[in-house]
Parts: sequence; C-alpha cells; structure tokens
Amino acid sequence: MADLTLFSFNAGTTALHDLDVRVKTGLVCILSMTLFFAGFSACLICFLALYPLIRSQGLTVLHLITRLKGFLLLLIIMAATRAVTVPGEPVFSILDVEITRQGLAQGTLVAARFFLVMVIGMLFAVTTRPADLKRAAQWFLAPVPFIPEKRVGFMISLFLRFFPMILAQAGQTADAVNARCGGFRKNPVRRIRFLTLPLMKKTVMAADHLSLAMTARCYTENRTDPAFEPGGKEWIFLVAGAGLCLGMILVSRKSFWMIFW
Amino acid sequence: MPDPILEIDHLSHEFAGGTGIHDINFQVCAGEFILLAGPNGSGKTTLIRHLNALERPSSGVIRLHGRPVTANLMLTRKTIGMVFQDADTQIVGDTVAEEVAFGLENLNTPRAQIREKVDQALARINLSHLKDRNPATLSGGEKRRLAIAGILVMDPEIIVLDEPFANLDYPASRHLVETICRLNRDGQTIIIATHDVEEVITLASRLLILDDQGRLVRDGCPADLLGCLDRFGIREPCFSRMGYTVPPWQT
Repeated sequence: MADLTLFSFNAGTTALHDLDVRVKTGLVCILSMTLFFAGFSACLICFLALYPLIRSQGLTVLHLITRLKGFLLLLIIMAATRAVTVPGEPVFSILDVEITRQGLAQGTLVAARFFLVMVIGMLFAVTTRPADLKRAAQWFLAPVPFIPEKRVGFMISLFLRFFPMILAQAGQTADAVNARCGGFRKNPVRRIRFLTLPLMKKTVMAADHLSLAMTARCYTENRTDPAFEPGGKEWIFLVAGAGLCLGMILVSRKSFWMIFW
Repeated sequence: MPDPILEIDHLSHEFAGGTGIHDINFQVCAGEFILLAGPNGSGKTTLIRHLNALERPSSGVIRLHGRPVTANLMLTRKTIGMVFQDADTQIVGDTVAEEVAFGLENLNTPRAQIREKVDQALARINLSHLKDRNPATLSGGEKRRLAIAGILVMDPEIIVLDEPFANLDYPASRHLVETICRLNRDGQTIIIATHDVEEVITLASRLLILDDQGRLVRDGCPADLLGCLDRFGIREPCFSRMGYTVPPWQT
C-alpha cells in the first residue's frame, strides 16, 4: 500500500472491489449529500461506519493523515478562517483578531464533513477501476435526454487513461528543458512558454494519433453496451448505506429540516 | 494467380511542396508477406493509411475485393487491420482484455462472443497470462503484441504494421518476428512498412521499395533485391554485406 496514491485504483478482492459500481456510485452520492447537513455526532457515526472499510483496504488513520496531508492543511486553513470570521462569543484573541466559539465549532464541523467526503472519495477511487466508472457514467446518463451517454462515458475513460500520460510527458518535457539549463531562467513567462508549448504540441499529436487508431478500429458511438458484474452483496450494502444515512439524518435532524426552509 | 484481395491502382497523394506518394500500383494476394521499405519521408505511412481508408488520395483508387475501400469504411477497416508505430497512443483500454475488446465493441458484437474472441486472440499472441494487467505496465514488445491482438480479434484478412520494430530491444524484436511469422504461416496476409529490413527481409515473400520521391521503384522477391538496397536509402542487411544469401542464424 506504500505506493498507493490518493486516487489510484488498487486491485483487490475486498467486498468494496466486488460491489457493483452503480451501487457504489449511488452510495457515494447519498452519503456525501447526507454529510452536508451532518452534525458532529453524525460525522462520528459516519467515520465509525467507514473505518472497517478503510481497514479492509489496508489503510489506518495514520495512512489517511499522511496521504491526505495536503488536503488536511487546506481544511485547517478553512476551519481557521471560519473561526475568525464567524461572529459570536470570543474564546481568545490574537492581535485584535477574535476567535469565536461558534466560529471554531462551525469551522471544525465543515472540516470534518469535507474530510469524510474525501475519505469516501478515496475509498471509491481505490476500489473502482476507471473502466467501471465509465460504465457507471454511461448507465446513469442513459435516461437523460439529449446527452450522448456513450460519448460521455468514452470521454471519461479517455481522460482517465490519458491524464497520467500527459503528466508523464510534462515531466519529460521539464527534464529536457532543465537538461539544457532552462530551469535557470528567471523569467517565469519564458519558463512556462518552454514547458507548455512543447507539451501542448505533444498532447495534440498524441490525440491525433489516438483518433486515427480509433478510426482504424471502426470506432463508433453505437457500441456494445457495457457489462456489469454484481458481486452479490449489493442489497446488503444498499440497506446498510441507507440505514447509515437515515441514522445520520435522525441524529442531525435539526440541521436536516433547515434545508427545506 | 488467385484473385487479389487488394488492388492499388495509380494511387497518388500530393502534399504541399510536391512530397507524397506518386502513381503507386501493386496488388496484394491472400497469404502474402509483403515488406514495404523506404527511407524516412518516402511515404510508407501515407501509403498504408490509404489502405485502411484513413486518407483520401489526390488521384487513383484502392479496391478491396473489387470495390473501392471508401465504399464501405466499416468493412474496409475490419478487413484491413492496422497496427500503428506508437503503441502507447493507440491503447484505449484499462486492461489488456478491454483493449483487445475495443474493436469488437465497435462492431456491436454480443458480449459473450467478445469474451470468447478476446480469449482466443490473446492465446494466439501468447498474452493470456497478462489479460487483467494495465497495458501501461507492459513492456514495449508486449504492447506491440497487444496492438496486434487488438486487430487480430476483428478477423482481418490483412494486417498492416507500421514500423513494428521501432524502439524494441533484441529479444522483443525476435519475439515479435516469431509472432508475425506464425500468423503468416497460419494464412494471415501481412504487410510491414519499415525503413530497416534486417529483421524480416528473409521471411517476407515480397519486397516493395519506395524511393525518397514517394515512387514505387521495385516490386519483387527479397532475395533478388538484396545487394541494391543502399541505392534506395535502405540499409543493406548485415548478412548480405558479409556475402551470405540468408542470415547465418537461419541456416
């Protein structure tokens, strides 16, 4: 697990890996939406429910902290901003800046909600193959009129396939520029120009080659529909997920009803 | 002589500045192993793209079983499989099996049949053990064989390969040569476009040479054309320079 990056798929045979991607996507959506009005208790319940799934992927709290450290820093900044901007009962002040109890509570709650959404997203990314994501997008968009779901699904798949390649090409271009002392240039505009223009050219050429290769293999939007392979535990996960969301709503019912006002 | 699968009739493709290919004529019959050789810029890639109807000619016509290749593009591209030089930019699947299935999905083949044909194609090309691997993690030679499997699965009559040995090390090149020869022995028609004929010249049944002006200047048996390749900007194979008629390692 040491080399696992935040959003990279990690092959495995856990229950989450076997779960039908449509159910997984649905659960991610309803859990994320429920978290928007979850209080502290609901967040704690959610974390406790997610923890066995996190452990099933070989991750610990320490892993989460180290892997999400950049994001955690962002959350701390967000919470701190809330703490000083929300009016209320002051807890203490530094250089005339008052930190309020209400601000601290709101900031911490928002940070906890975002952290949980990120953990859910990470679990989804670690256990879902990009091809399955494409299939799910295609399936969910199929009933929506005027949206070419097959094209959208294929575009998602191509983006996921080629994004790492573009990053690798950017690295190669940067190495080639630095090897000829381009890194010593002080002018940031020229530095960007020497990196972005060759990279854009390479990317466009790669896209052109890909388009030709796809055409040569009879690419059409009217393709064989994707196949889903349910693992058999979908209903258990759906019921458990719905129960968790219901429990979270009941615990934070005051903030839940506020969305209807 | 059997009826040709493919007839290239006075084909020309002009680029700005007068480059391109000019008045190309030849025929391709079933089971042939054709080597299309020429220096860089001679128009090899342009010519083979015309075979697959990926380009439109300035003049001339290409006929597949007597009908222009542009008449039914789907049939043309299914019948003439094309393997491009850069394997990385033509791989679209997340796994080896998905990559091979891409063409069949485009042909709207039922899912059960896709699974069966993918397994067969991977077995033919000795990639079954890598079925669930991410193509990005394969070696250069494996990627090239995967690209061939992606074409083979569509049951083409002709497989066209553009510079298949570019950037491959010696073992990968040998493995690829073995794969291509096995396919040809099984009756598959093969066309290879290359600037370096060393690897396959003795295995090919026919050698076509394009000069740097994009003209087809030779069309004959490879053995008969050995000794005059340098004249057309193609490196003479080492065994030929050393006075052998076939490579010593093949005798």
